[in-house]
This record gives sequence, structure tokens and C-alpha cells, in this order.
Amino acid sequence: MLKSFIAAAALAVSAFIAAPVVQAQEVLKVGSECTYFPFNFRDVDGKLKGYDIDVADEVAKRLNAKTEYSCLKFDGLIPALLAGQFDLIAASLSITPQRKERMDFSVPYRLSIGQFVAPKAKKLQLFDASNNVLKQNFKGIRIGLQRGTTYDSWFQAIVPEAQVVRYETVEQMYLEIKSGRLDAIMTNPMKTYLEFLSKPDGAGFEVVGPQITDEKYFGTGAGIGIRKGNEALLKRIDTAILAMKADGTLDKFSKLYFPFAIYPIN
Amino acid sequence: MSVVIPWLGQFAKGAVVVLGVALVALVLTIVWGLLGAAAKLSGNRIAGAIADAYTTVFRGTPELLVLLIIYFGSAVTLTWIGKQLDPSVRFINIPPFWAGAVAISLIVGAYATETFRGAFLGVERGQVEAARALGLSSSQTFFYVRLPQMWRLALPTFGNHMISIVKDTALLSVIGLEEIMYVAERGMTMTNKPFTMYAVVAVFYLAFVSLIIIAVARLEKRLNRHLVRAR
Amino acid sequence: MSFDVALILQSLPQILEGVGLTVQLHLISLAAGTLLAVGLALLRISPNPALSWPALVYIYVFRGTPMLVQVAIVYYGLAQFEMVRNSPLWPTLREPFWCAIIAFTLNVTAYTAEILRGGIQGVDRGLLEAGKSLGLSAWHRFTRITIPIAMRLSIPAYGNEMISLLKGTALASMITMYDVTGVARTIVSRTFAPYEIFISAALVYLALTWVIQQGVKFAERYFNRHLRK
Repeated sequence: MLKSFIAAAALAVSAFIAAPVVQAQEVLKVGSECTYFPFNFRDVDGKLKGYDIDVADEVAKRLNAKTEYSCLKFDGLIPALLAGQFDLIAASLSITPQRKERMDFSVPYRLSIGQFVAPKAKKLQLFDASNNVLKQNFKGIRIGLQRGTTYDSWFQAIVPEAQVVRYETVEQMYLEIKSGRLDAIMTNPMKTYLEFLSKPDGAGFEVVGPQITDEKYFGTGAGIGIRKGNEALLKRIDTAILAMKADGTLDKFSKLYFPFAIYPIN
Repeated sequence: MSVVIPWLGQFAKGAVVVLGVALVALVLTIVWGLLGAAAKLSGNRIAGAIADAYTTVFRGTPELLVLLIIYFGSAVTLTWIGKQLDPSVRFINIPPFWAGAVAISLIVGAYATETFRGAFLGVERGQVEAARALGLSSSQTFFYVRLPQMWRLALPTFGNHMISIVKDTALLSVIGLEEIMYVAERGMTMTNKPFTMYAVVAVFYLAFVSLIIIAVARLEKRLNRHLVRAR
Repeated sequence: MSFDVALILQSLPQILEGVGLTVQLHLISLAAGTLLAVGLALLRISPNPALSWPALVYIYVFRGTPMLVQVAIVYYGLAQFEMVRNSPLWPTLREPFWCAIIAFTLNVTAYTAEILRGGIQGVDRGLLEAGKSLGLSAWHRFTRITIPIAMRLSIPAYGNEMISLLKGTALASMITMYDVTGVARTIVSRTFAPYEIFISAALVYLALTWVIQQGVKFAERYFNRHLRK
């Protein structure tokens, strides 16, 4: 009994020590949500795919490095990056002034916009003709958001009295709006169109109001997140992304999922 | 029901992860439990106080919180410790598998401490005295007389601890570990059947728990075989 | 490494806002679950297998599956069915609060029924035989001998269950509720300081646990007062 206990303990301890693998090539540890179709998701066969993943892998290739992904719920990504669990975040992370206080970003590789989605039957009127927010129409309705996203900050600033319900994943939000627990959700319209509105279950839903691109909350786009103090690596990443924009790689990646370009063209 | 079939492969992978975490957590739980019980029984005031603090904190904090604190905090703490020892260390991070196993083992270990302590106290003094009288050293007495008998007394309650370890693994999806809850969460929107997906998870856990109950019952019978009376 | 102690204290007031919800979830589920557990325990010890078997299965399922799975099935799972969404129960099931209460209550019922069963079966047979020989009816034997003694025997285990339930309420944060853990997670997603905020939340739970433990100590002293010299 005792011998097997010692053997098991030794095995566990040695596995623990061996866990961090030593690699010769530079390894970039990247954190992502892995459930945010079509930007970062796992295919039915288990492979990690998506626009964010394609961009991150390509950047690593140009830096002569390998990528190693960790999947985490969205609201845990930034705390985990700051705690050192990984070096980069490639998860459609919008570049906002609030986030820039704690971390750095690469140049944007994707546009950042938000829009409301609601059941057609409800005929929600949340904005007026000139796209100003109609605060009184937010009373009494429940809006779903993903915890920690820029949509959360927009709400806090613009309509703090609205009843906001926070979820861990977008999947949960779709389930809830289908079952009727939520009256509307705020999310990325490009993504919602692809995975929800254009599918049979999304038939009874539509976007409500304009696309919101308020830079103060949504930032100047989505970039690769990195801890402060890594200027050298950041420069290399920026160079790679700008090169990818110039030689059409970003365009190629965009067109894999969307019929239009989703990176900032400027 | 048929909608679940394409997901079975992923569920199986997730199940293997759960088994792995449970095993590692089991070993570590025994370690913490024995250490804690030894500290409380040693009579040493400081060791006893530390063990008391350990059991109070880990039995009084929700498992979900302990998991989150250890996952996010461990990297910071370990990196700090690492930097004290070797300034060139950049970052030490803990993959969710290990963070989860350690967190679960610390929680259940706090309960195991009490169980082992009670079991050690239950070993007849007479046996210990006889062992010393026969010339066995302190550690020989511990390993050959006290420990085996302690196990016999602790086993029923420890069986419950093993079940707790298994059930706590369901929380690991929160820190990104891709085990069966994670598979269910991903699948539930794609298949539109959250009830079915979670039901599969429930069935898996019931099966795992049942195996443990059967194994513990067999082990109990074996450990108590010297007490079975002749008809 | 910067460990912001000030942040722990600063975030306490906000975290305390979640205490009301945590306490509500705890007390309501505890009361409902304990009430139902009495009935379930009686079914479980019934000599009639048609009564004891379903009880056994119920207890087995709820003690053998993680509470998180139970909560998820009640909240997300039930909403899947058209029948549920169109039923008069929907306005209640729509609310995460009631889904949490239902899931927690079902769980508490199973565990408490086992605790009560242990207490009832722990009553000394000799006492019951004495009661019988003194002419007490079965009902009187049950209410005057079994119940008081079973309650006294169950206190330690029931105290543990109360603490377990308190820790279980943290799972409400997984279904969008703003209990202590839910508030903490929202603050963390804005301040990016998980270590400090979660430790703050843990301190709140430890305080609540302490309150329960004091209550249990008091109950033990009261129920054992006949043994004090």
C-alpha cells in the first residue's frame, strides 16, 4: 500500500516538473476564447480555426516562431495575460483606452463594431432617426452581453440604467434570446450574421439600430494584446501585421469567412 | 438523441481529461490530508495553528472561488518566488490542468485532514504501545501499524472525499480546461439541445461515481476481512 | 509582484452588495429542501420497496452528479423545451433566481434526507423498545422519542450541509446572477485584478461560514443540555 503511494506521488511530481516543455524555436503562448465563431473557434474535428487564429499563426510564421494556444472564457483572458499565463491574446480584443492603461496592443487587424439583435416580433425601437439612443425605450427590457467585452463598457457609459444580463459566452446569449429570457443582445454584427441570423433558427431575429463604432468604447479596432514592457516583440508583431495588410494576406483571411474585408483600410 | 452522436468523440476526450485531473488530485489530496493530520496530531502549536487555518479557509470558501484564485494568482505568486531564486526567470505559468488539480486537492485535502485525524485517533493505543515494546522505531510504527489501520477506519468517509474530487472537476471548464462540461457548453448552441448535452455529462459523472462506490466497497471488505466472524 | 491590499478593502462594499442575494438563495433553498427532506427520508426508510426505491434513485442521482450540472440543466436545459416555454410555469422558470432555488432545493433535499435517515436509524433500539413496553403508540414513539433524538444526532452533519449549500450558492454566478461571486467576477472583468477581488469575496464567505458555525455550536449546546452536569 505504502509503496504504491510513493510510486504514485513520484509519478505525479515528475509529471509536474516535466510539464513545461523546453523548445528550441521561439514559442509564442497565445490566449484565445476558442468559442467565438468565425474569429476563433474549434471545428467539429477539434481543430482551432478562425480569422484571429489565422492572423496569429501567420504573424508567428513571419517571426519564425510557433504558436501554442490556451483557451479561456473571454472575461478571463486579460487577467490571465497580466498574470503571465500566456504572452499574447488573439481573441478579437478591441483596443480601448481603458484596456491600454493595463496592457499594450498591436496595430489593429480587424474592425470593431457593435449592434443590437432582437426578435422581429418585438419591434424594438432603441434609436431614433438620427441614431441617438432612446434611453426611455431601454426601460423594462433585458439585454444580454458577454462579460468583459467593450459592449459592456458602452452600456455602462451610455445607458447605465438598462437591465444588463452578463454571460460567459455568446452561445449562452443565443440560447437565451431564443428561449425568450432576453429581449435583445448586443454583439458583433458580422459574426452574428454568419452564425445566427443567416441560419434557420435566426429567422425570427434581426439587427436593430445602427452599427456602433464609437471609438471611445469600441476602440480603433481589434488588435493582438500583449503585456506592457515587451516593446521589441510588439514592434516585430506590428511590422508583420502591416506587411500582411500590404501584401493582401489579411484580405485573403477576411475572404475566407466574409464576402468583404474586415480589417481597417487606411 | 441522435444529435449527440457526432459529439461522443469529444465527450470521450473530455472524459479522459476529467479522469486525469481526478487521479492527480487524488494523490495530492492524500498528501495534504496526511500532512494536515500529522500537523494537528503532533502537539506542535505552530504546526497545529497552520493546519487549522488551512482547514478553515479551504472548507469555508466556495470551490469556484478557490479555483479562480489559484488559477489567476498562482502564476503571479510562483513567478515572484521564482524571481527571488533566479532573477532571470520571466514567467512561470500553470496550465489549467495542474491549477485545477491542485485547487481541488487543496479543498478536499482540508476535509481529508479531519478524516485522517479522526482515524488516527481511532487506532488502538494498545497496538502502538505493543509495537514500541517490540522495538519498532517511531517511523516503523507509523508505516506498519498506524497507517494501515488508519486507512481501514478512514475509508468510508474517504470514499465520499473521492466522490467530491470527481464532482468538483465539473468546475474546471471555468478556467478553460477542455473537459466534458466545456464540450457540452460548446455543443449546446450548435445542437440547440442543452438539456440533452448536460444529461450526457450527468450520466458520465453518475457512472464515474458508481465505479468509485463499488471500488471503495470492495476495498472496505478486504480491509475488514480480519474482522469477519466465523459462523 | 504588486499585491494591492488597498484594492481588497476598496472592493468590499461592492462585493457586500451581493450578500443579500447569497443569503436569500441560501435560506430559501435550505428551508424548502429540509422540509422536503423529511418526507423523502420517510420514503427512503419505508419497508415498501415501491416507496423506498424511487427515493433511493432520487438521492443517488442528486448526490452523484455535480451541482453545477444540476444548475445548468434546470436553467439552460429546461428552457430548451417548447412545452416548458409555453406553460404557465415559464414566468417563474424564466428567472435565474427561481431556477437557482429549484436546483439548490432539489440538491439539499437529497443530502438532508440522507442525514435525517442516519439520525433516525441512529436512535438506540432500546429506547424504542422501552417506549413500546410503556404503551406508547407508534406515532408517539416516533414524535416523542425518534424525532428529538434524531435531530440531536443530525446536527453536526446538518451543519456541514448548511456550509456546503453556502458554498454552492456561488454557482448562481454561472447563470447570470449577481451574488457575491457574480459581483466579484464582474468587478474583475473591469479592473483586471482577479487575485485581490476574489480574495475579498472569499473573506465574505468565510465570515458567513463563521456565522453558520456559531449557530451550529449554539444548537449543539441547546440539544445536549440534558447531558450537561
